[in-house]
Amino acid sequence: MKKDVKKAMSFKEVMTSYGTFFALLLVIVVFGALNPRVFLSSTNFWNITRQMVILAIISLGTTLIMSVEEFDLSVGTIASFSGVLSAILAINGVPFFWAMMIAFVLSGIIGFLNGFIVTRFKVMSFIITLAMSRVIYGVTYWLSDGAIVFNKIPESFKFIGTAKLGPIPYLTFLMVIAILIFHYITKSTSLGRKFYAIGGNEQASQVAGIKVSKYKTIAFTIAGAMSGLAGVLLASRVGSAAPTGGDAYCLNAYATIFIGKTVFKEGIPNIPGTVVGVALFTILANGLTIMQVPTFVQNILTGLVIVIAVISQKLGSKENE
Amino acid sequence: MIIETKHLSKRFGNFYALEDINFAVQEGEIHGLVGENGAGKSTLIKILTGVYHLTNGEIFVSGEKANIQTPSDSRRLGISVIHQDRNIVPAFNGVENVYLGLDVLKRHITSVDFATMKANVQKVMVQYQIDIPLDKMARDLTPPQKTMLEIVRAVMTNCKLLILDEPTASLTDKESELLFALIKKLNAKGTAILYVSHRLEEIFQLTNRITVFKNGKLVKTVETKGIDSDGLIRLMTDNWTSTNERHGQEIKGEPIYSIEHVSSADGMAKDVSFASHAGEIMGLFGLGGSGRTETLEAIYGYKPLKSGKIFFKGKEIKNPTPSKSIQSGIVLIHEDRRGHSLVMSREIKDNVVLSTIDSYVEKGFFNATKERDNVNTKIKELEIKTTGPEQRTSELSGGNQQKVVFARALMSVPKVFLCDEPTQAVDVMTRKEIHNLLRKCADKGSAVVYVTSDLKEMLEVADTITIIANGKTWERLENRGLTSKQVLSYCYQKR
Repeated sequence: MKKDVKKAMSFKEVMTSYGTFFALLLVIVVFGALNPRVFLSSTNFWNITRQMVILAIISLGTTLIMSVEEFDLSVGTIASFSGVLSAILAINGVPFFWAMMIAFVLSGIIGFLNGFIVTRFKVMSFIITLAMSRVIYGVTYWLSDGAIVFNKIPESFKFIGTAKLGPIPYLTFLMVIAILIFHYITKSTSLGRKFYAIGGNEQASQVAGIKVSKYKTIAFTIAGAMSGLAGVLLASRVGSAAPTGGDAYCLNAYATIFIGKTVFKEGIPNIPGTVVGVALFTILANGLTIMQVPTFVQNILTGLVIVIAVISQKLGSKENE
Repeated sequence: MIIETKHLSKRFGNFYALEDINFAVQEGEIHGLVGENGAGKSTLIKILTGVYHLTNGEIFVSGEKANIQTPSDSRRLGISVIHQDRNIVPAFNGVENVYLGLDVLKRHITSVDFATMKANVQKVMVQYQIDIPLDKMARDLTPPQKTMLEIVRAVMTNCKLLILDEPTASLTDKESELLFALIKKLNAKGTAILYVSHRLEEIFQLTNRITVFKNGKLVKTVETKGIDSDGLIRLMTDNWTSTNERHGQEIKGEPIYSIEHVSSADGMAKDVSFASHAGEIMGLFGLGGSGRTETLEAIYGYKPLKSGKIFFKGKEIKNPTPSKSIQSGIVLIHEDRRGHSLVMSREIKDNVVLSTIDSYVEKGFFNATKERDNVNTKIKELEIKTTGPEQRTSELSGGNQQKVVFARALMSVPKVFLCDEPTQAVDVMTRKEIHNLLRKCADKGSAVVYVTSDLKEMLEVADTITIIANGKTWERLENRGLTSKQVLSYCYQKR
């Protein structure tokens, strides 16, 4: 009798620790069975990795924000802004690298402003970044005249988003490098450790002498810069920049992080988890598209995935208490 | 009898918070309830108001046996309580707050009749000559106005017994006088009052009878006229004599850490000065609400200072912040282990190196080996019972968690320890170990400022004791043959 109880517990434990992996596996098996020829092809594999890139890069930065227990709802609009800005710079003859750098740095400055306002005035990041995203949207609209920027974008601007090394897209390499760097930051630097300490208990971190405001601002700055980078890469990949092109990534980024919190039983935002979340999300979208499922059904399904992920994360964390 | 308890007991685990209490409040009296921290006053109030359930015994309200299961049961029986931390919705106005938990009046199904509600509240206010603006939001009221508002709420229902728990803790003397006048008026109109306070002068000023609690037992109920404050203190405390073995030694030389006329922005610390010497464990003793914690938080830099000076090794520390304090060699052991000391969800090593984490960065890389070694050394040194540096901190026992807090403090090699209730909720063994540890640090030349509510512990540990009351420091006593009665009489004296 007692043994049975223990078995049931451990099954539950396995589900809370690896449930998300099973979900990922399930999605792959189902799509693989339904359309093995297309879905399981190596072309599609590399395609999926390329589709992951933009969401992954935004989510990496946002994971840091979540690790200090804040929210940044402007990451999507920052990406839109940065895409439009870099495209316009490129059209006006600025070399790709410099166009990217300018957009990257300006996005970082926006992130810094977010962090500064939130920590200096002790206001809710949720509402401040939401308001900031309106401001950024206004600027983007002004820059682009409200239209998609695509005319006269030089080929050099599209290179990094479309080029491949053998079968492997350049973007995939970039993403892997970014993931490794962020994994290193969160796992093995004092910066990452401070982020997690602040997220775990802000007051205790403050008493222990950690400059909470400073490190929160750093997290916001990095998240802003990463969103900016993602915006440039997105514009480069599709060869145009829409003034709302990056907006939808904001909600998706938080969804992947919540999914990620369920991975490895950590219950806290973590980079490997976020990557699993991004993969789950992207594969779902990819598979549904291959199956020619209408967009509205895709929306319903991905929305439900988020709901289930957040609920299971709550259950998982209760298990951990 | 308005209320009477017979053989009432409350047990938490193996520990009796209240044992065999036979307590009664008569109609029309103001009854004082006194006792040291942990004597069981709050537990009794919580049982009478339905927050806790009694383990054994019976409660009678107006002679009838009462079964109090929830706070609303208690209110229905005519018992209201006003706590030191007020129970008011800041964004509601006076009328809305008074009607909290009461049925609102309606004109018809959808429309609340605010006009009549307001008129009802005003009627009560006129009756008791209370004057507070009802249209203001509660957050804009002054502390005494908030207390008055709660009293209005209490008398709106048929309140037979009003319990006031340390109602003057955040009031000035003048504001307190206003409150006392109101209490007397309420009492004259027939409401019995149970008045709980550390401030004996208030007890003597207000009450007809006084009940003394000690260690969960009712010592005695006395007529206020028949006793003086010395007599009361004698009933409240076992008389311990100092057991500090080092009290023979003189404290010599210049202080290494001193503060002058410190006040905190929240107003709890008003004028605090003390000097702490190398080799000395300096006790800072005061009753609950005396401003001990607020003082330590402010001088450490965690909460804003209003005024005052802080000197460390002869140099003034201006605008202290926690990180500045730690860098100069001052650490704070916060009284709130869960909320302000430890990141419970993280590993032990995360907590141990939290204050010193930057020192492990060498040439841009984090030296995890050095970190592990250092943490392991501290685990051994402090005998922390754990499966290793990677164990989650929340899995440790209370005593071992507190050792982790000390391990972190020691990592920054401090010269000054500000300890606020460092042995709170730890086992006897660990308590002894913490005392020994601090003594060892003092012997090596550190200064220790020690705050504890437990006077027996204070007399065991401290070399000198500085008295703090009402946010001000008073006598500095050499802990040589001091008795608890002596110390307490300084605290309870009318200031």
